[in-house]
Amino acid sequence: MAVHLDPTVSAAPVRRRSLGSQVIRWVTSTDHKTIGYMYLITSFVFFMIAGLMALLIRAELFEPGMQLVSKDQYNQLFTMHGTIMLLLFATPLFAGFANIIMPLQIGAPDVAFPRLNMFAYWLYLFGGLIAVSGFLTPAGAASFGWFAYAPLSNAVNSPGLGGDLWVFGLALGGFGTILGAVNFITTILTMRAPGMTMFRMPIFTWNTLVTSLLILMAFPPLAAALFALGADRRLGAQVFNAENGGAILWQHLFWFFGHPEVYIIALPFFGIVTEILPVFARKPIFGYKGLIYATIAIGALSVTVWAHHMYVTGAVLLPFFALMTMLIAVPTGVKYFNWIGTIWRGAITFETPMLWAIGFLVSFLFGGLTGVILASPALDFHVSDTYFVVAHFHYVVFGTVVFAMFAGFYFWWPKFTGKMLNERLGKVHFWLLFVGFHTTFLIQHWLGVEGMPRRYADYMPEDGFTFFNQVSTVGAFLLAGSTLPFLWNVYITTKRAPKVTVDDPWGYGASLEWATSCPPPRHNFTSLPRIRSERPAFDLHHPEVAAMDHVEPDPGVLDWEADRRGEQVGARDASANGESQPEQSSTIIVDDMPQTDADDAGEDKR
Amino acid sequence: MKASVDVQHPRRRRSAQIAVLALVLTVAVSGCSAEAQRGFLPGYDDGQVTNMTERITSLWTGSWIAALAVGVLTWGLIIWSVAVYRKRRDDDTLPVQLRYHVPLEIMYVILPILMIGVLYFYTQRDVSAIVDTSKEPDVTVQVWGKRWSWDFNYLDSNVWESGEHVVDVGEPGNPETLPTLYLPVDKRVEIQLDSRDVIHSFWVPAFLFKRDMIPGRESSFQIIPEREGTYAGKCAELCGENHSGMLFNVKVVSQAEYDQHMVDLEAAGQTGVQGADLNPSDKPSAVIEEN
Repeated sequence: MAVHLDPTVSAAPVRRRSLGSQVIRWVTSTDHKTIGYMYLITSFVFFMIAGLMALLIRAELFEPGMQLVSKDQYNQLFTMHGTIMLLLFATPLFAGFANIIMPLQIGAPDVAFPRLNMFAYWLYLFGGLIAVSGFLTPAGAASFGWFAYAPLSNAVNSPGLGGDLWVFGLALGGFGTILGAVNFITTILTMRAPGMTMFRMPIFTWNTLVTSLLILMAFPPLAAALFALGADRRLGAQVFNAENGGAILWQHLFWFFGHPEVYIIALPFFGIVTEILPVFARKPIFGYKGLIYATIAIGALSVTVWAHHMYVTGAVLLPFFALMTMLIAVPTGVKYFNWIGTIWRGAITFETPMLWAIGFLVSFLFGGLTGVILASPALDFHVSDTYFVVAHFHYVVFGTVVFAMFAGFYFWWPKFTGKMLNERLGKVHFWLLFVGFHTTFLIQHWLGVEGMPRRYADYMPEDGFTFFNQVSTVGAFLLAGSTLPFLWNVYITTKRAPKVTVDDPWGYGASLEWATSCPPPRHNFTSLPRIRSERPAFDLHHPEVAAMDHVEPDPGVLDWEADRRGEQVGARDASANGESQPEQSSTIIVDDMPQTDADDAGEDKR
Repeated sequence: MKASVDVQHPRRRRSAQIAVLALVLTVAVSGCSAEAQRGFLPGYDDGQVTNMTERITSLWTGSWIAALAVGVLTWGLIIWSVAVYRKRRDDDTLPVQLRYHVPLEIMYVILPILMIGVLYFYTQRDVSAIVDTSKEPDVTVQVWGKRWSWDFNYLDSNVWESGEHVVDVGEPGNPETLPTLYLPVDKRVEIQLDSRDVIHSFWVPAFLFKRDMIPGRESSFQIIPEREGTYAGKCAELCGENHSGMLFNVKVVSQAEYDQHMVDLEAAGQTGVQGADLNPSDKPSAVIEEN
């Protein structure tokens, strides 16, 4: 017991692997962290590709007239931009973060089905490549918009292989997402470390759970709809024939997927921000349970609001969908005030992750406000399908996914790689992106209100949209340019940054990933701390605070799991017989541990 | 400066500052352009475009004022926290580890519900007026969307007009060449919408209203144009390559001018209706056989 192994020494000696063996090691890996890194890297590559498409779109709109691409190519660009950003970037980015972080946060050695996990990644990669490969076909990629409205998306109105590759590629990739969700749910429900009750799980893990449940509700209808569309396109089926109401049928099926999808890509990133705020405010999460109930409420409401995308069809029950949509503002507001409550009267420092988290709070709020405006059909009738919606959507999705993604990158980079990203470059990156983002998208609200429809390849000089479009385009290039300092940062960090030798380089980490080394060993933990609150790592590193701070709220009916008394007897026996390992105390929680000589000796050593 | 601080009530000065700020803001908002007063919605100083635009504009501006009030409060709280609760360099004590404040949490569940209730009430009031088609129209116009233009059938006068899409949208001078829908001022007009091929959307930004044109599903709405003038119309639902060229104009004119236009169309031989028989027959099965 006296020998304390230095983790840096005990780690396997650094061997230089050849590139080939490194590749083989990665592609054959079932380690949840490695698969997670593959998800993150792949989705980030897709993010940059779709970002370049956005630049082409913005450059084309810089002034009236077609300068760079043809109208059909323009349609391909925004179709694939939307498709990639939502389905090949944001959704798998969730899978990446959840894969790496969630098992660490619940103290599990891996996910429940490691090989299924690997399979899901490969489905995603090949499905994504198939969908994007439309650009290599003679007629180009799909050009019917990322929501593929029937009958525009049928074989008559959009012939060409690009559309087929889009349909079947996304269907394939969608199965990867579904299998990933099954895996996450099973892992969270069955593989939590002893002491990690549901109401001690970190918010990110909770949000992963709710997101995965949403995936199980939303993606199978999408898969069904895509296969039906594929049958229409290739086999002459008539599922979405407009004469039989197929146009509206597709919209219902698509948006029954499409709206929960927005929350599928939002909730995990809310979770990331919720992880970061308390660490840099040096306070626990304010209203932890309220946040969880709010997340569940958002998840539940999100499957009842799909037809707010269809107000202008005149084919849906406006009062119902308007009410449900407006109600989503309530749990979202709860989250906001809980986030503010978390930083309120804190001792806040502004390391890069915190900067991104605050940037998210400030940006996403505006998307939320325009969301409430759009929830009202009377107002949506005018701005639906305009740049107002484009702006709203980017405030919501970019404000959440991208801001929180970078927050998560900077926050967990030491956990991923054992090295801290450069703070100064991180701040340059943040401010460039922040200014670029608002320059690009804020002005688009005015464009939409004044009458610019979305998905227009061109506009008339008489429309008076030129100046606003130019501002937006300049902002877009600034926004894209902000990625360069990030890439440079990753490069120099890999080359030069010193190794992180502590478990928690930020100092106030709360969840269990901060109670293991950076990066963690193959099966994540050599020992687990006691899990007695929502902040096991914080309790471990700041025992004096934990000791003062042991007021447990009344467990209540929903926290029945917290009652672990049934295990006490066996644990006491094991301790008395010397079979237990008291320093790894979370294995089983014992309220009054029998004192032995060995224990006393161990205490003294510390 | 310091002399003006009320020593007994140091807060008074701050509240005075807030009052001044609020006053300046109010003046700025109310005093700024008519555009801003409309919340930047399309509109004119000399009258409402339709019988619905005033209603929509006031719901829009009211909702925005409420939304921005919430926004300013929330941004204010965030910025306040960021500014005031920075960790001081020499202060290493942890802040109070507060986890719950149930009354506060309940408060910010209830308050948003009340606010939503108000918005919902006014939304419902206005939506039911906007989508109401129960009254007998004076004029009925049937509009077909087609890739990538419009057919207007003036059903009462039994005449029609047919448009073609704009090819070079970015060239100056297009607005004069667009197909034009004529509507008589101050008459209740029913617009019936249908599509010949894919989904289109009939949008006149000045009317603050759009409605999708869905193949196989007729749909209609009623308005009373109240201001004579020419307004831009656009297709707002992606319909293929020349979506951005699917433009039209709406001319709201006096009854006499409207009647004259009907006579002109009749004189041009454009009588009858451009009906569903013109829809392209697209049977996907035929395409499969070709393949």
